[in-house]
Amino acid sequence: MTTDGIINIQNVSFYRGDRAIFKNLNCTIDTGKITAIMGPSGSGKTTLLRLIGGQLQPDDGRILLFDQDIAKLNRKQLNQLRARMGVLFQSGALFTDLSVFENVAFPLREHMNLSADDLYNRVLLKLEAVGLRGARHLMPAQLSGGMARRVALARAVAMEPELILYDEPFAGQDPIAMAVLQRLIKDLNSAMQLTSVLVSHDIAEACAIADQVILLGEGQVLVQDTPAALQASTDPAVKQFIHGEADGVIPFHFPAPSLQQDLRGQSE
Amino acid sequence: MMGPIADLGAGLLSKLVRMGEALLMLLQAIIVQPKASSLPRLIQQLYVVGVQSLIIILVSALFIGMVLGLQGYTLLSAYGSEQAVGQMVALTLVRELSPVVAALLFAGRAGSALTAEIGLMKATEQLASLEMFGVDPLHRIVAPRFWAGIISLPLLVAIFSLVGIYGGHLVAVDWLGVYSGSYWGNMQQAVDFNEDVLNGMVKALVFAFLISWTAVYQGYSCIPTSQGISAATTRTVVYSSLAILGFDFILTALMFGGAV
Repeated sequence: MTTDGIINIQNVSFYRGDRAIFKNLNCTIDTGKITAIMGPSGSGKTTLLRLIGGQLQPDDGRILLFDQDIAKLNRKQLNQLRARMGVLFQSGALFTDLSVFENVAFPLREHMNLSADDLYNRVLLKLEAVGLRGARHLMPAQLSGGMARRVALARAVAMEPELILYDEPFAGQDPIAMAVLQRLIKDLNSAMQLTSVLVSHDIAEACAIADQVILLGEGQVLVQDTPAALQASTDPAVKQFIHGEADGVIPFHFPAPSLQQDLRGQSE
Repeated sequence: MMGPIADLGAGLLSKLVRMGEALLMLLQAIIVQPKASSLPRLIQQLYVVGVQSLIIILVSALFIGMVLGLQGYTLLSAYGSEQAVGQMVALTLVRELSPVVAALLFAGRAGSALTAEIGLMKATEQLASLEMFGVDPLHRIVAPRFWAGIISLPLLVAIFSLVGIYGGHLVAVDWLGVYSGSYWGNMQQAVDFNEDVLNGMVKALVFAFLISWTAVYQGYSCIPTSQGISAATTRTVVYSSLAILGFDFILTALMFGGAV
């Protein structure tokens, strides 16, 4: 069966112990667009990315990636599918025992039979695209957080994937690094005709580059729309998240008995 | 009434599940067709796990051999048998002390480092990242470290015995004046290659398996936080040490029990 989007999430439920992270979640990620998945902490954004990458399996429902149900793939088929996508992990996840050059070369060495010259040129071009050609001899421990994220980005696109998943790419970055990453994500998406899925709670940065936003909450998709429509939304939960209001539909307080009941010597 | 019984059952079941997981992980990691490209990774791990443990093994072996020489001389000279000190030092070392002490040191030095390294790789998403590149972390990360442990410890045990015997010689012969010919001659006569040396090496191999398995499993299955890694590292040292001592008794009973 062929579907519209590059990723189709159909009636997915996922539990951690007794706690439901998702209950009958449905959404579609359109091909060729930048989609930002947003939501409060604990809403399951990173979990959703891991479900899409096949690192976790849904308890119910199915996830179609490139029109294939990833739960039904064997390891070899899953690896073939993974070769068509790149992932930028929140921490960068660079291999600490390999240099910048070798980190970017890693997927190429594993999956492509390139000559030494082709491999060298390809790695250098990817590093040039993220502005770090000159840092190819450095080790990950010698890089700043922003530089590490850019090297990880070069590694994620080294195989020229069709889909790239970004897990919190702006987290912990200074304004300059954030702007650089924003520009890179946007430029790479159009230059390589990628589909990008971006998990973030940096609203302004994600909305500035996203074509569509999926807002998660209470195990469901609260809304899926363009950033402009989201900014104009009158839905209380959407408004609270977009405008960063401390209390509202998403409560400030963790569920508890009333303060009166809880204070010692105050209850009947 | 049922509550504590149910808790006990749940606890036992969870332990069984973890043991099953550990066994499955081990089988997945080691049942793999060896590739030429894996050799450099194994050699690198042999250096990290084996060569970097050499200093602690050499120094400990020398002191333990010296103490054995001194204690042996003191004890045996009371019966006028100080010429047998070489035999006592060698048998004590090759049968018992070398495998056990070297394994305990190896668990503390290399086992804990393996757990911490794999745990940190998990915490920094390097294992997840390998998986997303279609590379099995069990083959890439776990297998070379496991095999490096299996190969390194028996070699370290052999070195421990040699250095320990030399330490005993330093004290008994060079310091206390036992005749060198008696030291080596009695040793040569009393130590049987199959009965003593090979049995000692079998112990070393079993301990190497226990330590390497515990270390890689604890690292691979740890909770990827600083507290989780720290707890896993502690568990590696505690479980390995207890397993070494327990299995040492079982192996000693099997190997030398018949003589009792």
